[in-house]
Amino acid sequence: MSDAATLESFRLADSFLPVGTYTVSYGLEQFIQDDRVEDAADLEALLSTYLRRQVGPAELVALRAAHAAATDGDIDAICRADRRLSAVTLAAEFRESAQQSGSRLLSLQTELRDETVLNRYAGRVDADEAPGNYAVVLGVVTALADVAVREACLLCCHGFVTGLLGAAQRLLSLGHTDAQRILDELQPVMTAVVEESSDGAVDAMTPFAPLVDVLAAEHERAERRLFAS
Amino acid sequence: MAADAPHPAFEGYATEAVPQAAVGSPGKDGVLELTFERTAEGTTLVHDYATVPFHISGTLGHDPLPEADTVFIQSPTGGVAQGDRHDVSITVGDEAVAHVSTQSSTKVQTMTCNYAAADTSLSVGADGHLDYVPEPTILHADSRYLQELTVDLAPGATAVVSDVVVPGRLARGERFEFERYLSRVRATGPDRLLFEDATHLTPADEDPTAPGVLGDFTVYGTTFVLAPDHDETELSDALHAVVADGEARAGATALPNGAGVAVRALGDRAETVQATLHAAWDHARTELLDVPAPSGRKY
Repeated sequence: MSDAATLESFRLADSFLPVGTYTVSYGLEQFIQDDRVEDAADLEALLSTYLRRQVGPAELVALRAAHAAATDGDIDAICRADRRLSAVTLAAEFRESAQQSGSRLLSLQTELRDETVLNRYAGRVDADEAPGNYAVVLGVVTALADVAVREACLLCCHGFVTGLLGAAQRLLSLGHTDAQRILDELQPVMTAVVEESSDGAVDAMTPFAPLVDVLAAEHERAERRLFAS
Repeated sequence: MAADAPHPAFEGYATEAVPQAAVGSPGKDGVLELTFERTAEGTTLVHDYATVPFHISGTLGHDPLPEADTVFIQSPTGGVAQGDRHDVSITVGDEAVAHVSTQSSTKVQTMTCNYAAADTSLSVGADGHLDYVPEPTILHADSRYLQELTVDLAPGATAVVSDVVVPGRLARGERFEFERYLSRVRATGPDRLLFEDATHLTPADEDPTAPGVLGDFTVYGTTFVLAPDHDETELSDALHAVVADGEARAGATALPNGAGVAVRALGDRAETVQATLHAAWDHARTELLDVPAPSGRKY
């Protein structure tokens, strides 16, 4: 990758990127509320499930499709992957979170760059013809910045895990060293799910984490909560 | 003496291999077609075709809604065997109301080769309603089962579709010993994909009891209340309130594309998951049809 592409990927992977990942916990808040996650080991196991069962088989498959479509300038294919990702994300809270951070990243990037593909896709999202999921926007943005698809997938995993670790630090008494240790220990899982997602077809996404769905449904109705999901 | 010979005189027979019926041969390729239509007398089963292992003994008229019709799918066999390919099509015409279920659990038998598959397509006409709430699927050790279900809804149509999976013969201590279970549910509305859900379990490769997957639960089921013309947020909140305090751990969430609501339930026994999902079904039917769900009587 060129230096510009590498720097772009650093920028997109940074929690400094204002896309609101600090507002989402993807049900983690409810897992902690329910005493299902009490320490660093529980947290790492749950994050591993998220990566293997949700991010890998759904988000990464959509990201790859969007990355390839953006490279080809095929706006219809980007929108197809985008709609598909929403159709397989059954937990309402997760769809909302993915669309909110997707919309923030999309408007940020359209401010920074003047790219036809990005502008046309943003137009389709504005017209409600595509939901604008974060993973799909990230796929488009990385493709246009010449960030290779594998790096883009790793970046997506890294961003997801750091976002949830940030949430965990506010919900659990999790120290910085523990947070870094989990991030470090999840590296092989991230590599494995990125590898596996390369076989995934966009019309065969199979995320499967029913207990996450049930707890997210409870979180939707929780009276006191810190996070939007 | 061969282990399973009941009498010395049968010993010779017992050593003979049983050549299994091949994929596609009679009894392996079950076909079931049901078509319901709205007539002056209410809903009528106007077409039915069933080949082994499916059997239909006519319709039953005890639905709480007088104009609805009920069919229980029967099977004269002990369950689904390796090489079985089942094909079920259920069509509910405009303004008709039908309830289709199975009479007992679908038992997916142990396999040594090949796999079994069931393809189910449901179609509901304008302002029609279908309840497709079969008994649970029980996955015996070493089974491989692929289940694909599609629901197509015309404008104004509604449906309740349920799926419960039991990962083994729990009473004998068998759990998560099957090889592979993949169940896909796909719903389409007028001209668009509404949602797609998949359950993919391969216990030997990926621990189904991992946190967030099934956790400490064993039995898993989902009821989809498909009602694209209804306010899904309101229905989702109401259904969540119905299931939140049940014996099973359950929750409701609004489906993508305004399709309706998914209620997921996890429990330790099929009965608790079924009871929780039945409560959701009951509420949904009251919302959609103004009558409760059928009691569960299978005759």
